[in-house]
Amino acid sequence: MSDVQNTLRDRVRSLLAEGKISCFIGWGPTRFKDRTIPKFANKPEDAGELVYNEHCLSNLAKYALDFQFSAEVAGIAVRGCESRAINRLIADGRLTRSKLYLVGIPCEGMLENGSTAEKCAFCRHRNPVVYDELIGEPVAEQENPPRFEQVLELESASSEDRYDFWQREFAKCIRCYACRNACPACNCMECYTEQYRTGWQGKQANTLENSVFGFTRAYHIGDRCIECGECERVCPMGIPLMKLNRKLVKDVESLFGSEESGLSDDASHALGCYDKEDLEEFM
Amino acid sequence: MARIDAENWEPKILAFCCNWCTYTGADLAGLNRMKYPDNIRIVRVPCSGRVNPQFILRGFQKGYDGVLVCGCHPGDCHYTSGNYFTRRRFLLMKRLLEYAGIETGRFQARWISGAEAAKFRDTVLKVTEEIRALGPNHRMKEADDHE
Ligand code: SF4
Ligand code: FES
Repeated sequence: MSDVQNTLRDRVRSLLAEGKISCFIGWGPTRFKDRTIPKFANKPEDAGELVYNEHCLSNLAKYALDFQFSAEVAGIAVRGCESRAINRLIADGRLTRSKLYLVGIPCEGMLENGSTAEKCAFCRHRNPVVYDELIGEPVAEQENPPRFEQVLELESASSEDRYDFWQREFAKCIRCYACRNACPACNCMECYTEQYRTGWQGKQANTLENSVFGFTRAYHIGDRCIECGECERVCPMGIPLMKLNRKLVKDVESLFGSEESGLSDDASHALGCYDKEDLEEFM
Repeated sequence: MARIDAENWEPKILAFCCNWCTYTGADLAGLNRMKYPDNIRIVRVPCSGRVNPQFILRGFQKGYDGVLVCGCHPGDCHYTSGNYFTRRRFLLMKRLLEYAGIETGRFQARWISGAEAAKFRDTVLKVTEEIRALGPNHRMKEADDHE
């Protein structure tokens, strides 16, 4: 991994020096050895502070939105999850491919408290699906990780247990909206939760409103979630949000036969189109 | 006002009916003096595609025991394709609601044309009975003192 880090620093240094990019979004160090934070390198000499190791947990893609109105090209490190997030943001009309320079890094999974991070355990795309240059060799993909195991488990519980489960989880929610802010599919200019006057969402941080928020957010991204697991990782209250998102991902796949989100920057997504032959349950 | 208790409880059902088909069908049922339960509260919408899935959650929050979404038959939507989108949206929402712990049957959707007065009546009868069997809904409902 230190090879990757060195190559990354060198490449970013020359990209910035050549003026190919105006800024590079990568990871930087913190006070702790096992933590990193997103870092913006603006000058060639900043490149030496970039870090790449098994603690790069953040998905950087959302930070690319900081450059959406910039005339210059922004560089960004993309692993499988970032590359799909970038595709998602392009498909949603928030980013332009020509204004991005993607430095691909195949990833073997990150560590969280010493073991494989939850968000990496079910990853099916460790190699970036789109990039301008690749650092390091492509890695082997995980064969059919059991992405929907937890969903199937909850589905088999009784309706009452499912209700209690989610109400118990959302009782913890403090409505910090970190899940939304970190999510590359949650990229609306104005989120429905902020449309106070329309009253879509009660502001009260009580269990019911929290769960309404949770279900609505999950539904809003249901056909666009790239399963990067950032929402769940950033949630300070440890709410298993991917258990909700994956339910929708699973149903979207089985009902409409859609492919996973973010594999290309094609703008079609399951709820934005239809098929006359769709399942008929409402006759 | 009399308190609602187990004895005199009646299901309250919210129905979104598209203006061009189901609402007309309901109108026709009325013209034909067909009798159907008054448990249903109809909200007329321009098209079933107008029904945001969040309306369903809000219905349960506000104390409805069941929510029904009705529109034109696929292929017959006044706006050509509105109900095809509706169908996808609610196939997904129905499953999400069940996953969230709302009992199966509390949310339903039906295609009823402007000529199908009898289907409208039968649907309302059937849905009302199904929801009566499920009993009052307490899940996702705002505390009673909000009423
Ligand atoms: S990150 Fe967690 S606590 Fe914050 S709003 Fe989302 S679910 Fe609630
Ligand atoms: S107009 Fe009736 S469903 Fe669209």
